[in-house]
Amino acid sequence: MNPAPNRLFGEPRDIVSMSPQDSHADSIRFDAEPDVMGDKANILLVDDRSDKLLALQAVLSSLDQNLVIARSGKEALRHLLQTEFAVILLDVSMPGMDGFETASMIRKRPATEHTPIIFVTSMNQSENQIARGYQLGAVDYILTPIVPTVLRSKVSVFVELYKRTEEIKRQAERLRHLEEAALKRQLTDAVDRLEAETKRNRFFTLSLDMLAIADFDGFMLQLNPNWEKTLGYNENELRTRPGIEFVHPADQAGMAREMNRLRAGESCYFEGRYRCKQGAYRWLGWTAAPFPAERLIYIFARDITPQKNSEAEIHQLNAQLNKRVQQLTDTNRELEAFCYSISHDLRAPLRAMHGFSQALVADHTESLNEEGRHYVDRIANSAKYMDSMLRDLLEYSRLTLCDLPVGPLDLEHELGEVLRNLDQEIAARRAAVEITLDARRASAHPATFRQVFWNLVTNALKFVPHERAPHVRIQSEQNGTHVRISVIDNGIGIPAEHCDRVFNLFERLHRDPAFPGTGVGLAVVRRATERMGGRVGVDSKPNEGSRFWVELPVTNHEETADTPGRG
Amino acid sequence: MKKPLILQVEDDPNDVFLFSRAFKKAQVDADLRSIEDGDAFITFLDHLAETGGQPPTLVLLDIKLPRKSGFEVLEWIRAHPQFKRLPVIMLTSSAQPLDVRRAYDLGANAYLVKPMDVDEIVRLLGTIRDFWLTANITPSGEQPVTAEPMRK
Repeated sequence: MNPAPNRLFGEPRDIVSMSPQDSHADSIRFDAEPDVMGDKANILLVDDRSDKLLALQAVLSSLDQNLVIARSGKEALRHLLQTEFAVILLDVSMPGMDGFETASMIRKRPATEHTPIIFVTSMNQSENQIARGYQLGAVDYILTPIVPTVLRSKVSVFVELYKRTEEIKRQAERLRHLEEAALKRQLTDAVDRLEAETKRNRFFTLSLDMLAIADFDGFMLQLNPNWEKTLGYNENELRTRPGIEFVHPADQAGMAREMNRLRAGESCYFEGRYRCKQGAYRWLGWTAAPFPAERLIYIFARDITPQKNSEAEIHQLNAQLNKRVQQLTDTNRELEAFCYSISHDLRAPLRAMHGFSQALVADHTESLNEEGRHYVDRIANSAKYMDSMLRDLLEYSRLTLCDLPVGPLDLEHELGEVLRNLDQEIAARRAAVEITLDARRASAHPATFRQVFWNLVTNALKFVPHERAPHVRIQSEQNGTHVRISVIDNGIGIPAEHCDRVFNLFERLHRDPAFPGTGVGLAVVRRATERMGGRVGVDSKPNEGSRFWVELPVTNHEETADTPGRG
Repeated sequence: MKKPLILQVEDDPNDVFLFSRAFKKAQVDADLRSIEDGDAFITFLDHLAETGGQPPTLVLLDIKLPRKSGFEVLEWIRAHPQFKRLPVIMLTSSAQPLDVRRAYDLGANAYLVKPMDVDEIVRLLGTIRDFWLTANITPSGEQPVTAEPMRK
């Protein structure tokens, strides 16, 4: 069985002539499928007799609709399952399932409940039969023999009705689609809004800051959970009391001022202490923005207690530091006064001791024996030694207190000056002094530089046994950003364990009167060099001489292109 | 002609003694008077101004003095209409550059450090005699005393 409904009349060329040989077939086959969605209506013709079907077709073909034929009630029902029909022409008397039976079956299906049925029956049908037909939902009766015009007009009414109904259905459908689309859009929008709001609410809930919305009277309306986490109050406690009640009394005036600014429409930031439920205060930094139209204030508060604590700590440390600086300044001033006192007050009695000892020997020499004169000499020498110690100490202290502006130096020139000042000592010791300079410039304070090398060369001359002629070599070499200037002697040398100590103040390795001194000279060398941004050291072995070295920066940022000329 | 007057402003009696001893040994033909502090010195000059007495030819001024320091005294002298040109030699135990600079800034005529050795003091006073009393012309218009030291 071909399930496709058969079309009797489609396009004229689709018409297939029926031959007697074909009459046994269940249906007449067509190539084309029924025009379901087109503007042609389907008409179902049901009759067991081919001649009657042919007659119906002939009459209705001029309506130019799709004619589908069925040769039995069963076949008709099958068509109705698949296709919608504008009208059914149903033969009443058919073998098997007759027209009435078929009609009652059709009416039972909701889809076909209202499909118009026109019964086709002969004139000799009883009134009774006709009544039954109407009961079964027939809408009309056509009596055979058919009057073509009557049949055509009746069927065309139903076709028209069907088409109108279809049109209304289509329009209703379109309308429904439009409404559905609009609703869908609204729904999508609502869902989107809800989603966005949910996401925003997550910000509100998850924020590390305390977020709140308050009214212009200072009551919180909405709070995120951080308030409770930070302050310990639950949301209800915070909402039922004006915010200012929680603020530290000292900060309330400030907060009231900020509230006035907010009510005037200004945004603000302020910091204030907020009382926690446990009674402690925490510092909150408030950023607040008003929305005057709604009389709402949006608040972003942050617990800044740790910052405040560290600020306080820094403040305290700063105060301590300032105090310390002040103390140091005072100490420095005291040190200056001390130095002044050394140079002035302490030396005066020494000078008197020395002076009177000398005057005693000079003015009363006849009343002193040799032993007496020896004692007086010792008093004078001790006073003189102490005086030189004080003078050296003063010089050393001055290096700490004075400003030593550095500039570029010509090493050859400066070292030449130092040696000229030591002419007599060099000659007296029959010493040889050699200068070999691979680096010729350094950055230093000229007078201090000369003092450093005066001390080093004096030292080199001094610590050579008297029977040996001193041989002093002064060398320089560049060592990266520094110049190393060495003073090498052929003296008695220094044991390794004492090399670090020789630069200490008042450090003397020898009590031998052959090597007199106050133990300040090398301390001055180190202090002076360090003040000029350099460092000092010594390499030495006993009896193999010493190599004292001073490292000074080659340049400093104050340096100019000028080089001091030889003077 | 009266002998030149040298005023030593010095509070330390030891120094006063040692300098007057050396003064004699150096055979300086002048009167040496010592005044023990700055206030007393100013009182003395005020008195001179009132009485029209002979001003000192030379002042030897210590820095560290009780009550009024040598610098304050020097300032006072330089601001005084009558004594502003008085030759003032600082004679002190301080060789600190700061003190030296300040002394010259305030108008000192020379800066000498007290020697340790008594013979050095004698030599120093000889130098003062030769330079300040003999070679130097003082602003008061006094002629320098003759190169030949006048003896009492």
